[in-house]
Amino acid sequence: MDDEQSRIDALRRKQSEIGNHVIDEYFSGHISRRNFLRAGSVAGISIPVLSFLAACGPAPAPSTPSGSSSVKIKRGGHAAVGCLPPATALDPLKVDDEGGLLLLSQVGEFLSWSGSSLVLQPRVAQSWSSSSDAKTWTFKIRKGITFHDGTPLTAKDVAATINLHADPANGSNALSVFKGVLAAGAATAVDDVTLRVELEAASGNFPYLLSSDNYNLIILPANYGGDFSKTFNSCGPFRVTSYQTGQRMSVQRNATYWDKNFIPPLDTVDYDFYTDDQSRILALQGKTVQIVSHFAASDGQALFKDPNVKIIDSRSANHRQVHMRNDMEPFTDKRVRQAMALALNRPDLVQGLLNGKAQVANDSPFFKVYPSTNTSVAQREQNLTKAKQLLQAAGKGSGFTVQLSTWRGFEIPDYAQLIQSSAKKIGVTINLNIVDEATYYGNAVFGQSIWLDSLMGITDYGHRAVPNVFLGAPLVSDGPWNAAHFKNSTYDGLVAQYVATADLSTQRRIAGQIETLLLDETPIIFAYNYDATGATLPNIGNVRMTGDFQLDLRSAGFTS
Amino acid sequence: MSTASVPVARPRRVDARRSALAERLTLLLHSPTFLIGAVIVLFWIVCAIGNTHLTPYDPLATNPLGKLRGPSPQHLLGTDSLGRDELSRVIAGARGILVVAPLATVLGTAVGTALGLVTGYFGGLVDESLMRLVDAFLAVPVVVVGLVALVALGPSTITVILVIGVVFAPIIARTVRAAVLSERDKEYIQAARLRRERTPYILFVELLPNVMGPILVEFTVRLGYAIFTIATLSFLGFGIQPPAPDWGLSIYENYVYITGGYWWPVLFPAIAIASLVVGVNLVSDAISQVLDR
Amino acid sequence: MARFLIRRIAFAVITLWLLSVLVFLGAHVLPGDVGRRILGAFASPRAVANLDRQLGVDKPLPVQYLNWLSGAVRFNFGSSLAYRQPVSSLLGPALLNSLKLAAVAFVIVVPLGVVGGVIAALNRGRPLDRIITVSGLSGTVVPEFVSGIVLILLLGIVIRLFPVTATAPPGSGALTQLYYLILPALPLVLVLFGYIARIARAGMIDALDADYTRTAYLKGLSRRTVIWRHVLRNALLPTIAVIATQTGYLIGGLVVIETIFNYHGIGQLLFTAAQQKDFPLIQATVMVIGVVYLVATLLADITYSLLNPRIRLGGAR
Repeated sequence: MDDEQSRIDALRRKQSEIGNHVIDEYFSGHISRRNFLRAGSVAGISIPVLSFLAACGPAPAPSTPSGSSSVKIKRGGHAAVGCLPPATALDPLKVDDEGGLLLLSQVGEFLSWSGSSLVLQPRVAQSWSSSSDAKTWTFKIRKGITFHDGTPLTAKDVAATINLHADPANGSNALSVFKGVLAAGAATAVDDVTLRVELEAASGNFPYLLSSDNYNLIILPANYGGDFSKTFNSCGPFRVTSYQTGQRMSVQRNATYWDKNFIPPLDTVDYDFYTDDQSRILALQGKTVQIVSHFAASDGQALFKDPNVKIIDSRSANHRQVHMRNDMEPFTDKRVRQAMALALNRPDLVQGLLNGKAQVANDSPFFKVYPSTNTSVAQREQNLTKAKQLLQAAGKGSGFTVQLSTWRGFEIPDYAQLIQSSAKKIGVTINLNIVDEATYYGNAVFGQSIWLDSLMGITDYGHRAVPNVFLGAPLVSDGPWNAAHFKNSTYDGLVAQYVATADLSTQRRIAGQIETLLLDETPIIFAYNYDATGATLPNIGNVRMTGDFQLDLRSAGFTS
Repeated sequence: MSTASVPVARPRRVDARRSALAERLTLLLHSPTFLIGAVIVLFWIVCAIGNTHLTPYDPLATNPLGKLRGPSPQHLLGTDSLGRDELSRVIAGARGILVVAPLATVLGTAVGTALGLVTGYFGGLVDESLMRLVDAFLAVPVVVVGLVALVALGPSTITVILVIGVVFAPIIARTVRAAVLSERDKEYIQAARLRRERTPYILFVELLPNVMGPILVEFTVRLGYAIFTIATLSFLGFGIQPPAPDWGLSIYENYVYITGGYWWPVLFPAIAIASLVVGVNLVSDAISQVLDR
Repeated sequence: MARFLIRRIAFAVITLWLLSVLVFLGAHVLPGDVGRRILGAFASPRAVANLDRQLGVDKPLPVQYLNWLSGAVRFNFGSSLAYRQPVSSLLGPALLNSLKLAAVAFVIVVPLGVVGGVIAALNRGRPLDRIITVSGLSGTVVPEFVSGIVLILLLGIVIRLFPVTATAPPGSGALTQLYYLILPALPLVLVLFGYIARIARAGMIDALDADYTRTAYLKGLSRRTVIWRHVLRNALLPTIAVIATQTGYLIGGLVVIETIFNYHGIGQLLFTAAQQKDFPLIQATVMVIGVVYLVATLLADITYSLLNPRIRLGGAR
């Protein structure tokens, strides 16, 4: 015991202030083992140290989540993955869709990988640490990584990649994450293996913003000329052999991949593009593909009961936001918004709509997957009587008619129809306006977008390993995605505090305040967050995926 | 002012027409093809009119926990992916298509007839250029035009009616024009011209009744196609919109479940579409046979 | 003959030109700012205006039309907004794929439909005739998306006779590709069978009732000889020419079939382009579909006139 304690002390001396704080919280039992691993990885504590400390701690070791156990794989072979077609050319700056980001994750490599457990695994970055105010972050860049074209990777390449995305002139999709945190030129290469990033505002979860979670951020060479969709030059586990727009991407294993333990067993992989769920499911059942990167849990009825199919899934923060225009009748009165939220039967949505592959959410982006979520705030349940009373009190006792706009994809039209029939129970008539995706998003700026201008709408949000983006863009007063037109300075202040905070218990305290405020105001209904679900044939093993539907095929292959 | 000869000349022609009509109607009522078709179509018309009065449940009432249940005494045709009663949806689904398809076809027929009358009657450059335009228009399949137009204008019932109507108009115009060409040099038209009747009068009072036959046949044929096309557009997601219990839409919403063995929410609407189109086609066949005699 | 040909081709060219005008105007009904679509929400208004100028979409419509047309005749339709590569590089392979699928459908359905029609005509009024006519009619009225799904379920999942996608693995030989295309072709076959059988039946009946057939019988020729020598030839060659006009329908059907079977043809390309409002791509795709149809009908007309002297001599009407 003494021996162990002295080893712990020795390890602790090497950790940053934030790191030590995380360790304190763990040992005092404030956070679970799982959350400790996660928070520790953010604070830059290396994985072996974390594992050692976790084993010494008070929390019992969790059972391994299903599907993540490793099986024996034989080397070689060719696999086909059925996935969504990228909506645009494969440009790391521009990709903002699931099809595109999956492909980037196969060819590219990130500073770190945000896997299904939400624990950051070091990749290009070997380790990281921050200053005590969480405004300066330093990353140690791994030696011996080469790009597919043979050029060695240094911290200069990483700095250039970050600055490329941070510069508003380039219109990167990652700006939605970097806004207010990181400016152009913020990243500098101190030497070949050290990267320093100076933030505009403190960010306690910053490593997540540079991880695979920020899916645009695959590391590109410093002299990148904007031609990724021709060269596909990055340093990921696979290199592209051919790319046919709208049809498929073919890759072969990257034999010079930096992590010798994870050189993919598969010789070649095809990513075949299937536009809709039905054809992806059919392709798997017809054995045309061995892996399906995504099927909507709502559509998966056939696969869930098929004994010849293995489901792979990952808890995630994928969710739908039902916004109500806070500045337009009848939703100017928060009682009306609360009534709408009270009309929904969330457990039924989770079971009926998503076949149980989801979790009930509580009208804020603090989903149960996040360690910082304050679970002491009571869950909102269906309560039709209270909803009717609230409408009465707001002078809307006789009901009203509104239009709900959304787009045709996944379970969204079904969700819209269920909201419609729930609202009917409290005397509210909802007319549906269901359009195609491009029409719904329009030009994605206020005044030119159904999404941002509609009285009420359902918008799909992809997974993020930390809630920062969800707390910001769709909810803060000047947020570019604030479809609810919610303007609340108290809220803005709380979010700024939350983002700057690095230690978990403070994060959780502020989270509780935010959750309570959002429950009261209900600018947006968050009814559920659903798991990322994919599937494989039984003879394929070790396929892992992230909440963002990125696949990790580095150890996947045919079972022997 | 019309001349004295008109009242004498016209009743005779109308009489002859009327007795021919009676004869054809009798023929029609004795045609098994017509009767079978008419019964099917009538069945769906009754469903469309009765709508929710005939359905065992509210076709829009969702029950997510009772979704995709197979046919049973409670739900004779099972339930769909949102737990709605399939039988109720199939019955109620008749209304949408039986309003939209005929309206679209009427629109197409009206516009097409007018176009066909004008181009056929005048001939010459007007005819030539309009027919080339029609050719150009017809070079693109209906579904393709419909799809592109609905994407541009946004899907709504009105848009569907307009788009199908506009697409059908040139096709109908062509048929009407052909019929007009065979009529326009006949005696009664020349007589009307000699009487210096105004052109609209000649077109719509003299010419139109005599080309009604082909127009009627074309109308019924187009009606079948309209049902087919609207169902297809709904299936592609650009036709009638949720939560309407439309058949094509129901298939679109539920076909992803079919590989799991949940065939009922797809099969029954499919049977409904097919039977309605068969019914309309049988009626149309019978009418054209009778008129050809 | 030469006069007929010239006249017919001239008509086709005029029609084509009108089609290009219609397509161009149609695509410009689509709302949305092109520059904003390409650059995304985070780009500055100035950058958007610059790009609009570069692409020439700020010019008056007639100028834009002429620019587009002069490119289109050289098979240069500009760049796809979504994929940012030349439209022609997307269109070429898709068109080839669709033609393959259509060819497979035709190869199956034409002999089947013709034989069905002939058998029906030879058994006119008897039960066999009824069966062929009614089953043909039923096939014609069932939408492809319905028959397609049922066929996938039966032949692809329940008994694994065919693969459920239409695209063969890359590098497959012609036979494998053909094997993959049979299932997707079947719904098209179902719809076309009734139509072709009907035309063939009508042609046969006309020929059976024609004077020359009667003359042949009177000459004492056997029924078999009369049918093989006189009836079939006269009945079927025009029928086959008429079938070519079905390409229009076929392409419409491809939109649905290619969506269900995830086949990378022109129908799927159009469907995704429409969803993404990628209007250079929509324009080009619709234009190419129109051209294919016009060429097919032109060929059909010419064949028909070669086979049927009355049309050739009687002029265009």
